Amino acid sequence: MTSTRSRFSGYAVVVLALALLGGVYTAVAAPKTEAEDPVNQSIAVKEGRELYLQGCSTCHGLNNQGGAGGPSLIGVGASSVIFQVESGRMPLARGAAQAQRKMSKYDRTQTDQLAAYIQSVGGGPELPAGRLDDGELALGGDLFRTNCSSCHNFAGVGGALTRAKYAPSLTEASARVIYTAMQTGPENMPRFSDNTLTPDEKRAITRYVRHLTTEAKDPGGAGLGRYGPVPEGLVVFLVGMGLLIVITLWIGARA
Amino acid sequence: MTDSIRDRLKATGDDSEATAPDAPVSHGEHPVGDPTVSTHHSYHAELDPQSAKRAELAVAALFMLAVVGTLGFIASYVFWPFEYGEEYYEYYTPMLGIFMTLALMGLGAGAILWAKTLMVDDETVQERHLLSSADEDKEGAVAIIKEGAADSGLGKYPILRRSFLMANGALGLIAVPFLFGMGRFQHKEAVMAKTGWHKGSRLLDELGRPVKLGDLEVGGVKSVFPDVPGGRRMADSAALIIRMRPEKLKSRESRKDWVVDGHVVYSVICTHLGCPVKLYEQQTHHLFCPCHQSTFDAADAAKVLFGPAARNLPQLAITLDDEGYFVAQGDFNEPVGPSYWERKPHYKDEVK
Repeated sequence: MTSTRSRFSGYAVVVLALALLGGVYTAVAAPKTEAEDPVNQSIAVKEGRELYLQGCSTCHGLNNQGGAGGPSLIGVGASSVIFQVESGRMPLARGAAQAQRKMSKYDRTQTDQLAAYIQSVGGGPELPAGRLDDGELALGGDLFRTNCSSCHNFAGVGGALTRAKYAPSLTEASARVIYTAMQTGPENMPRFSDNTLTPDEKRAITRYVRHLTTEAKDPGGAGLGRYGPVPEGLVVFLVGMGLLIVITLWIGARA
Repeated sequence: MTDSIRDRLKATGDDSEATAPDAPVSHGEHPVGDPTVSTHHSYHAELDPQSAKRAELAVAALFMLAVVGTLGFIASYVFWPFEYGEEYYEYYTPMLGIFMTLALMGLGAGAILWAKTLMVDDETVQERHLLSSADEDKEGAVAIIKEGAADSGLGKYPILRRSFLMANGALGLIAVPFLFGMGRFQHKEAVMAKTGWHKGSRLLDELGRPVKLGDLEVGGVKSVFPDVPGGRRMADSAALIIRMRPEKLKSRESRKDWVVDGHVVYSVICTHLGCPVKLYEQQTHHLFCPCHQSTFDAADAAKVLFGPAARNLPQLAITLDDEGYFVAQGDFNEPVGPSYWERKPHYKDEVK
């Protein structure tokens, strides 16, 4: 004999067990994130959900499941949100070969709230605690040249890929944007998981890229956009050859 | 002055009629003007003392600029900061360049201005005579040569002549052994077909750590080098391990065992002209060479999709050792990098 009550009681036991397990885990072993205070965290998630429904749900779905307008956000993690929103790529303005950096529509608090909400829904990579740009500079340079410079150029000013895609310039990117880009591998950029590049190595690369943007001088005086031999050749040809031609004409002119 | 030049031009044998110095030249006969008539205008002849003084000062100023440039160059060399991190160190080479430019161009421009303004610039005539020797000298030379040939005895002694020719011919054959140093003979050991990878070498990343299953996420890449002494510096052994979804990886039958759970390894040396092909597009799984835009499909044995490369990127067959680290099953399946004459016999579709 199966009564309604006993059938539901089975489910109730399972739900209770799961809640107990999850609760104990969260209390004991959950990784610390930036918003440690549980009250602030739940406010952030709530605010984030409001922002999401207003600005993101049209393309990414009311339940983050994605659709014709955009992919699912389940499992992308807080890092993806921080990257896309802080660099202004999301919300997307128009369809193109890839999303473009532009003015961010949300401020830092709102970005963090959106990130907290997406993290709460499906989990995924998130930022570590502490500073992101205090790694070893020399190691960062070495790793940058091996892993990043092939697409982003030796000085991080970007480069072309196939079919109108491109590796963007890194000069405008903040430390958070650089770190999360490595973690999440947006669009066609490869993903550098924490086993591929450890958090310390990512910090080193972040420090190196910020150093390139803020402190690194151009030996020789003028970087010419730091693109390398192309602008340098242009200057040599226009200025140098032009000067030589003018001088030649002067030498040969009648007195 | 121009009269004497014209007279001298007439004296060299040119019979064309000299026209008056100011008369217009007939363009029907000489489209570019009569070349025997001097049209030189002497600047120096009309130089008055005032203009000369001005010109002299201008030239002197340029020469002084050269002196300033030299002194500035020496001062920059000695005093300007050049160590990394010092204030304005990045302007060290531009300062040296600017002063060197002033020094050299000051001297050059001064010399040119001097030649244009202050030097005497009369037109002179240079004689042009036939260059060949007189006929009797030519005949005398021929006679000497003939006499010498007769004196040598080659005509008179046939065995001498023939053996001499044989010796010369034999000497020419000395070049033949040198041919054995070139081309196919030189590449017998196939040095260019081998890299640092061999069976059992672990894949090490750029910091020397072995790569294991789980290090890469889907869409991740890593630069790898062989686990041999000096492997990190072996430029021909540079490779890239790529992880993609196993269902996206199209492996042909003969290469099914070369991949591990969506992990695939290719050489990064472009088969076109040798640039590093490390631009990996995660979503399209294309490898892109920045030099001439050759595009390879990492999901399909690095087949060439676009660009001047004619051959796929060589693939490194990998497997896992007992501890879960990636190891190579042998060397690349073909020689890495651009084509060369003796390349073809070394291609294999199975592991070497």
